[in-house]
Amino acid sequence: MATFITRRLILLIFVMFGVSLLIFGLMMTFSPERRAMAFVSTPQMAKDIPLLIKKYGFDQPFYAQYYTWIKEVSHLNLGYSLVASRSVMEAFLYYFPITLELNLYAAPCIILFGIWMGTIAGTKPNSFFDHFSRIFSIIGWSLPTFLFALVLIMIFYGYFSLFPPGVLSDELTMFVRNSDDFVRYTHLYTIDGILNGRLDITLNAFKYLFLPVLTETIVICALLMRVMRSGMLEEMSKDYIITAKAKGADKKTIYLKHARRNALIPVITIAGQLVAMLMEGSIAVEIIFNRQGIGWWMASSATQLDMPVLMSMCLVMAVIFVLSNLVVDLIYAYIDPRIRLS
Amino acid sequence: MKKLFIFLAAAFLCFMLIAPANAASKDTFVKATYGTVRTIDPATAYDVSSGMKLYNIYERLVAFDGASTENFIPELAVEVPTVANGGISKDGKNYRFKIKKGIKFHNGATLTPEDVEYSFERGMIMDQAGGPQWMILEALTGKGGTRDGDDKVIDGIFEKIMAAVDVDGDDVVFHLPVPYPPLMGIIQYTSSSIINKKWAIANKCWDGKLATAAKYNNPDFNKEPLLKIANGTGPYTLKEWIPSNQFVFERFEGYWGKTPYFKNAIVKYVPEWTTRKLMLQNGDADVVDLDSMYVEEVEAMEGITVYKIPQLSYSAAIFCQKINPAGNPDIGSGKLDGNGIPPNFFSDIHVRKAFSHSIDWKAMKEDVGMGLIDLPGSPNCIGLPYYKEIPLYSFDAKKAEAEMKQAFGGEVWEKGFKMTITHNTGNALREAAANMMAENIMALNPKFQIEIRNVAWKDYTVKYRQFAYPVFIIGWGADYPDPHNFLYTFMHSNGVYGKYSGFKNAEVDALCDAGIQNVEPEKRRAAYSKLQDLWHELAVGNTVYQQTVVKPFRSDIKGFVGNPMFDDDHEYLKNLYRE
Repeated sequence: MATFITRRLILLIFVMFGVSLLIFGLMMTFSPERRAMAFVSTPQMAKDIPLLIKKYGFDQPFYAQYYTWIKEVSHLNLGYSLVASRSVMEAFLYYFPITLELNLYAAPCIILFGIWMGTIAGTKPNSFFDHFSRIFSIIGWSLPTFLFALVLIMIFYGYFSLFPPGVLSDELTMFVRNSDDFVRYTHLYTIDGILNGRLDITLNAFKYLFLPVLTETIVICALLMRVMRSGMLEEMSKDYIITAKAKGADKKTIYLKHARRNALIPVITIAGQLVAMLMEGSIAVEIIFNRQGIGWWMASSATQLDMPVLMSMCLVMAVIFVLSNLVVDLIYAYIDPRIRLS
Repeated sequence: MKKLFIFLAAAFLCFMLIAPANAASKDTFVKATYGTVRTIDPATAYDVSSGMKLYNIYERLVAFDGASTENFIPELAVEVPTVANGGISKDGKNYRFKIKKGIKFHNGATLTPEDVEYSFERGMIMDQAGGPQWMILEALTGKGGTRDGDDKVIDGIFEKIMAAVDVDGDDVVFHLPVPYPPLMGIIQYTSSSIINKKWAIANKCWDGKLATAAKYNNPDFNKEPLLKIANGTGPYTLKEWIPSNQFVFERFEGYWGKTPYFKNAIVKYVPEWTTRKLMLQNGDADVVDLDSMYVEEVEAMEGITVYKIPQLSYSAAIFCQKINPAGNPDIGSGKLDGNGIPPNFFSDIHVRKAFSHSIDWKAMKEDVGMGLIDLPGSPNCIGLPYYKEIPLYSFDAKKAEAEMKQAFGGEVWEKGFKMTITHNTGNALREAAANMMAENIMALNPKFQIEIRNVAWKDYTVKYRQFAYPVFIIGWGADYPDPHNFLYTFMHSNGVYGKYSGFKNAEVDALCDAGIQNVEPEKRRAAYSKLQDLWHELAVGNTVYQQTVVKPFRSDIKGFVGNPMFDDDHEYLKNLYRE
C-alpha cells in the first residue's frame, strides 16, 4: 500500500509538470502585450507596456519564461488578484474554506443518498420507489442548478423565512472576526465552533449550509443514483447472486454485502470526480446563496480576465483531481479485494 | 444505533426549522448592494460606492441642508461663510472658515485648523489621474489639474496650492484667483474630507513640505497610503473591510454630535437581485440596491417604504476614440479586418452616430426603466441650470445602416468588426442598454459582432482610465449642482470622461472654460447652450438614462432624507434610526 501511494505521489510530480506545461503553453498563445497587461494596475503603467514586457521577460524564449514562472509558482507567488484585491495565495486561503465547508457536508450527502437510492431502486426494479427515484433523478439532473437554487431560496427563505443566504449571522460573524477568545483553527465555522466550545456558532453555520447542501445533493446525486441502479441491476442478474438466492441466503446479505459491493466500483469512480469538481465551487450555488467561495471567485475572474487567478486555479484543480483519483484507487482496494494496488 | 441516528437527524432538522432566520440585530443597520469599493482614501476616491463610506467616516467643513442642493449647514466649520457674515470677501475671492474646537478624530487626536489646511493641500498635491481633485484645483488655482496635457507637472503649481489655503488663528482661509460660484458644493464633497495630519504622515502620506510635493503627485492606483485605512471625525469608524464581501462600520463613541442610533452598520456585497430582495423581505437587510425594473416587485412587498428621488445624475455610453490596443481583448485583432476594431474606431463620427441610433428609447424608458427614468439629450441633465431640451438620436435601423455604410469610407460595412461593450456588474439598466445597442447593431449586418462583458465596479473605474474599453456605460452624479460639473466632465479634454474617451475639440474646451470663468448668467447660458448642441452634433456619447433613484427601506427605518445630489449609495447613517 505504501509503495502504491508513494508511486502515485511521484506520478503527481509528472502530472503537475504536464499540466503546468499545458497551462503555460495556452498562456503563450496570448501576445506579450496581452500578458503584460495582467501586471498593469494603473493608467500610468499602461503606457509602459514595452518596459513591462522586458521586466517580466515576455520577449524571452519559451523555456526561459517557463522557468521564471515555475520558479515563482514553486515559491507560492501566484500573482495578484484584481478581483479579490489581494494576492492570489491570500485570496485562495480566504475563499477556499468557504467552498470546502460546503462540500464537506454536500459530498457525503450526495454519495450516501445516491448510493442508498440507487441500491433500493436496483433491488426493487419497477416498484413505486424505483419509478419515483427515476423521476427524481431525471428532474435533478436536468434542472439547472441556478433555477433549483432560486426555487429553494424562494420557498424556504422567501416564504417560510428559514435558512437565510450567507455564511454566518452578522452578529456571530462580527464576534468570530473580532474576538480574541475565538480561535479559527480550521476556518470552517462548523468545526471551529465545536473546537471553541461554541455550539451556537456551529448550529448557526449549519443553518446557512442547509439550502446550499440540499441544492447540491438533489442536483448532483441523480447521476450517482442512476449509475448505482444500473450497476445493481446488472449484478442482480449474475450467476453468483442466483446461486446465493437458491441456497437460501439472507436477501439483505445478498443485496448489501455481495451485489452492492460489486456495483460500487463505477460509482466510486464517478464520486471521486464529482468531489473534485465540487472543490472548484458551484458558481450558481455560491452566487444565489451569497457564499463567496472559489466558484464565485473563479467566475468573477473569468469575466474580468483576471489571468493570475485563472492560471493558478487550473494548477490547484489539477492537484485536487490527481489526489481524488489516488483516494479513489485506495477505496477500490478496500471495496474489492480482487484489486491489488501493488 | 439506526434509531438513534434517525432521532438525532430529526432533532437537528427541528432545530433548523424552529430557529428564526437571521433577522437583523436591532442596533445594526444592514445594506445589500452590488457596488464594490476600490479605495477609501478621500483624496482619490471618486465614485458613489466609496462615497457612502467616506460620508460616514469623515466630515467636511459644510454639508447640504437635508434635501436642498443650494443651502448648506456647518459641519466642522462654526458657520457657513457668507458675504453677509464676513466669511466671504466682497470680491468673492476669499473664504474664511472658523473651525470648531474640541472635536476628536477616531484615534483620539483633536481637530486643528492645520488638519484642515493639510487635508486640502494633500488632496490637491496628490491629484491622482482621473480623481476628484480637479474640482478644488480649478477653484483654488485656476487650473483643472497639476499636470498638463502631456502629463508633466505644471511649473509652480505646488507653490500655488500651498498659497491657496492658509491658517489664520482658529480660521482656515481659501484664496481664489477668481470668484468660483460652485466652491461650497465642492467643499461638501467627499474629496474635501478632513483627515488627521499627524496620523496621515505617520502612515506614509505627504509630509506637508513643499519640497517633497512632486514625489506624492499622481500616486499609482491601489498604492495610496490610505487605501484601506481611515481616521476621520465622522460618526462611524471603519471596523472591517473585506473587498468584494462586506464593509463594517462601528459607531464612534467619541463623536462630537448627537450619538447615532445604530451601533454597527454593514454593507454587504450581494450581486444577485433575488437574494437581495429576499433579504429585504425577511428583514435581513434594511435597504438594498434596486434597479428600476424591479420597483414594482418591491412596491408589492409589505413592510417596505419606498423613497423615489429624482437625481441630478446622467448615465451615458461613452465611445473611446483612442482605445489602448496593448493586450486589449475587447478590440479583437485591433484592426479593421472583420475580427476586431482599430483603436480609433470611434473617432469616425459615422460609427458614433450609428451606435447612437441603436437604442430603442421607448423600450428603455417604459420596459427597462419602468417609467422611472428620464432621457435628457445631453449631460446637462434635467434640473440643472441652463438645461436645454436636446433631441435624442432616433431609434432607426435605416439611419444606423446609412451611417455605418459611410464609416471608414465604407470599409466597416464591407469587412465587419468585432468588439466588446462593457458595463459594471449588477447594474441591470446599463446591462439592458448594452444588450440593446449590441443586438441592434448586429442586426444591421451579420459581419458585425459585439459581445457584452460586465466588470466589478472597483475594477471598472480603473480600467476605463487605461483607455481599455471601446464603449463603456457609466454615470455621473453631481458633485455640485452646476452644468460645469457635467459638461466639463463629459466633454472637456481634461474632464474625467472627456479625457478617457480620447475626445478633444478646441471649441468645446474653450466653451467649457468660458462657462465657468464667466459669472454673468447670460454668458454662461450661451456657452452651455452651445455645448449641449455640440454634444448632439458630434455624437460625443449616447444618453442611456437620468435616473430616479428608488430606495426601498424596511418601514421601521426612519430618518432617511433623499437628496437629488446623492445617488443610490449614499446614506447618512447618523440620521437613521429603527422605530
